Amino acid sequence: MAIIQAHSVSRHVETNAGQLQILSPIDLRIEKGEAVAIVGASGSGKSTLLALLAGLDLPSTGHVTVDNVNLSDLDEEERAILRGDKIGFIFQSFLLIQSLTALENVMLPAELAGASNPEEQATELLQKVGLGDRLDHYPNQLSGGEQQRVAIARAFIGQPAILFADEPTGNLDSGTGAKVEDLLFELNREFGTTLVMVTHDERLAAKCDRILKIDSGKLVEQKHAA
Amino acid sequence: MRPNRWQWTKISWRLLRHELSRGELTVMAAAVALAVTAVLSLSLFSERLQGGLMARSAEFLAADRVLRSRSEIDDGWLERAEEEGLRSARRTTFNSMVFAEEQLALADIKAVSDGFPLRGALEVADEPFVTGVVTHSLPSSGEAWVHSGLFQQLPLSLGSTIEVGDAEFVVTKVLTHEPDAGFNVFTDSPTVLIPYTDLAATGLIQPGSRVSFHYLFAGEPADIARYENWLLPQLDDVTQRWQGIQDGDSPLSAALTRAERFMLLASLLGVVLAATAVAVAAQRYCQRNYDAVAIMKTLGGTRGQVRRIFTVHLLLLTGFSIVAGLLLGYALQAGVVWYVSSALGYELPAASGSPWFLATATGLLCALMFSLYPLLRLMRIPPLRVLRRELDASDLARSLHWIISGGTVYGLMVLYSRSWLLSAALFAGGILAMFLLLGISRLFIRASRQAGMQAGSSWRLAMAGMQRRSRENSLQMLSFSTAVMLFLLVLALRNELLEDWQNQLPDDAPNYFVVNVAGEQVDAMTQMFERENIRSTDLYPIIPGRLMAINDTPVRDAVSKEERDDTNVREGFGRELQLTWRRDLPPENVLTAGRWFDGDEPGVSVESQVAERIRVGLGDRLTFRVGADEFTVPVVNIREVDWNTMQPNFYMIFNPSSLEGVPATYISSFYLPPERRSELYQLFRDFPQASLIDVDDIIQQVRSVIGHVSMAITFVMVLVILAGGLVLVAQVQATLEEREQELVILRTLGARSGLLAKAVTYEFIVLGALAGLIATIAMELTIFILQTQVFNMPATLHWRFWVFGPLIGASIVALLGWMTTRRLMIQRTAELIRGLA
Ligand SMILES: Nc1ncnc2c1ncn2[C@@H]1O[C@H](COP(=O)(O)OP(=O)(O)OP(=O)(O)O)[C@@H](O)[C@H]1O
Ligand SMILES: [Mg+2]
Repeated sequence: MAIIQAHSVSRHVETNAGQLQILSPIDLRIEKGEAVAIVGASGSGKSTLLALLAGLDLPSTGHVTVDNVNLSDLDEEERAILRGDKIGFIFQSFLLIQSLTALENVMLPAELAGASNPEEQATELLQKVGLGDRLDHYPNQLSGGEQQRVAIARAFIGQPAILFADEPTGNLDSGTGAKVEDLLFELNREFGTTLVMVTHDERLAAKCDRILKIDSGKLVEQKHAA
Repeated sequence: MRPNRWQWTKISWRLLRHELSRGELTVMAAAVALAVTAVLSLSLFSERLQGGLMARSAEFLAADRVLRSRSEIDDGWLERAEEEGLRSARRTTFNSMVFAEEQLALADIKAVSDGFPLRGALEVADEPFVTGVVTHSLPSSGEAWVHSGLFQQLPLSLGSTIEVGDAEFVVTKVLTHEPDAGFNVFTDSPTVLIPYTDLAATGLIQPGSRVSFHYLFAGEPADIARYENWLLPQLDDVTQRWQGIQDGDSPLSAALTRAERFMLLASLLGVVLAATAVAVAAQRYCQRNYDAVAIMKTLGGTRGQVRRIFTVHLLLLTGFSIVAGLLLGYALQAGVVWYVSSALGYELPAASGSPWFLATATGLLCALMFSLYPLLRLMRIPPLRVLRRELDASDLARSLHWIISGGTVYGLMVLYSRSWLLSAALFAGGILAMFLLLGISRLFIRASRQAGMQAGSSWRLAMAGMQRRSRENSLQMLSFSTAVMLFLLVLALRNELLEDWQNQLPDDAPNYFVVNVAGEQVDAMTQMFERENIRSTDLYPIIPGRLMAINDTPVRDAVSKEERDDTNVREGFGRELQLTWRRDLPPENVLTAGRWFDGDEPGVSVESQVAERIRVGLGDRLTFRVGADEFTVPVVNIREVDWNTMQPNFYMIFNPSSLEGVPATYISSFYLPPERRSELYQLFRDFPQASLIDVDDIIQQVRSVIGHVSMAITFVMVLVILAGGLVLVAQVQATLEEREQELVILRTLGARSGLLAKAVTYEFIVLGALAGLIATIAMELTIFILQTQVFNMPATLHWRFWVFGPLIGASIVALLGWMTTRRLMIQRTAELIRGLA
């Protein structure tokens, strides 16, 4: 059963030079539990597509459904609640809140969603990503790899059905990147999470079930991993 | 299930705790705290000071209010005063001959009832011409206390008997100080203080005698106000006069009015400056949370949740800052009050609770209103910002911001000044000035950028920076120059006021008047002054006379009672005048209309306030009666007189040809250093009928009040400087943070930090110097308007500030900029690079 569906989703923006098509109409199905990589050159529209699939942005034409809910029918508040319930995020630049400790950053989504025991869940997850002894550290006291692990713990706290990752290892050296990847896939398996990941890294893409290739805003290839 | 209220508070508190400990909110917190501190300390202090001043000034009247009447008033009026909770006392003064051992002298008989004086205190001694001690008693029946001067004129000693009318009194004390001695030296013959109950026995109060009955009142302001409401409508304008402390008769009223205006104005500026600092800081406070909001929204936070978290966050911060501000403000005020009281030698009265309310309200208003627009923007940050960093809530109209901020500033001004009008005028002026400054800044930036292009690499980088940001820069420049300008303005105004007062009462201001000098002794006295090296004014002849008619229309007080209500009479002077003649314009007098007398033409010169009151102008013909003669002369000129100087001043000065030959006595004032006081007797032994009036006391009183006010003004100035400094800090920080990215990029591209720091410093030097220059120009303009329109002082230019302004602007702004850049460079490059990736 498809957890995400895109129906001729496109995106254009108004610029000084007129309308700019940054994503041509795309049709897409992503199955529950699937791991999908989105690849393509820089500026091809990967992040744009990700934002549309995650409901961070709305398409200019077409619509996206998540768990059979049409995102275009929801207002911003409802989309936020849906994200809180079903979706986790990991970004290239970690995007931790600088004024909160590792533990507090991880707890935040659970608190926003009103979970009963955010602190226990967060501690457990941080231990899982190997930061059990760094709970009270602030982001600027952690290395890049450590920050990304905090971000991963945060992404998994609500046990989201879908995890979106935009170049999760882009800022890390290859060794650390590999560790973070392993962690990501491990948690993905453990929780049965659907994974949608933008990456430049061929090797990482190859670990996914399917690779979507984007070129100049067009979906040019859907390739199932061997 | 959604989280409960505590959850928000917890998240907000977590955010706040760390931000506070990292000093990221210091400027915002400091700005709010400073606004609160400024308002609290200023209003507490000015309220207490005003209380102190009122009490001090009331001493000049010996009461809070005085009713002067030609006849005795209805006892019911005094009973009513008592019902309203006021204390009252009677005082009657008249001139009479006093006899002792067959000799006689003119004295000022002053009969006072129990309780006199209601404000201030009498001082007495056991021998003449020495310093007395405070007493709270009064002469008992059959006793009189006599001023030193009478000892000079009559063969008197303590225990002697004097005759006043039909009654005899034993002299039991020398009266050395009366709070209500006043400045009217002409009528002041030596005082003889007797009990009111003995007044009738003198037999001097008879129908038709020229006696003035004074009723003194003192009490709480509210009680006085109620009594005034009841009494004033019943008064007869011609024979009765109601007098308060600030009714212009007090020599202090001009100084007090100016001081009050200055305090109000300066503290208003201080509050506005602190508010500006809050505004700048609030903007930054919200900007730095853009990411946090985007992240929260991405992670499922709804707008409502985000709003609650940041509202609570702001409220916590505000609450914290307000408490800090209140504590600081109270401590500051207590310190200043302690200093002022110990310098003045008496306690200031306590203040009411309203300053606390005012300060808290100001803090809340500042923090919440100035954060409102930035917060609204913050709420609208789209979650997509996590992917597209440049996104913010640019769709929210900027005009909203200006309307909210403008409204808040105006609201604060009204709250503080309690005057819609004054606030509106200042506000409109401020807006106008802002646009002017904005325009000038842009011009200057453009010009300096061209100049900088030819310079070395740091300078070029600096100028290139300014060019790129010319829009932002002109806004920064606006706040820089506003801060520097208000700073200069308060500094210059303070100096002006203090200097002005100092000039009026220099250390060697005349401290004695000599009156009753006979015409044939004028030369001898002038020689004596010269020989003894005593600085004195000219001796002015005095002739008592009355104004009878203006352009042949009789004046009110020159006609019989029955004719008074006749519409054909003109408002007159109301009492006898002291006339003089003189060949040239006296010093400290300024002609405002007409010209000085030409040769022997007949004519009179009229003091400007009197001219206004009795509505006469150049060419009007005034009829005077001197002795039995009446004569008519035209008004040749109008003169402005500085009544605060210790010299004989006159309402009417005649050309000698108009009056010369009429018998006159002469008056002069002179300065005798306190240590030569003991020579007085010797110096004036040859002039037995001349009497001396000691105004040293009065001068000391005036000085102490002015000292008071000067300290208050200095205190206000310090607060305004602090507020201005905070605006600068906030602005420099905001400015630098805006260019963080740029700095880091330049840095990563290999620019040496030395070069960068220099470039930034140069940019700030130029910005600061320009701001200082603009500020100086604006300050000169403002001060010109204030001096001429608000303070009634002559306008002046301040050349020193033309150097001082740009210098101060450049050094402060550059120093702040350099410090902030260094911090950025050293501590945060690595972190910033990571954050920017
Ligand atoms: N709001 C917008 N306004 C103008 N251009 C936009 C906007 N959003 C996206 N673009 C443009 O659309 C294109 C695709 O952007 P997108 O961020 O999706 O690329 P990307 O594939 O993620 O690239 P990268 O690998 O570098 O992250 C880019 O050229 C970008 O500049
Ligand atoms: Mg991208």
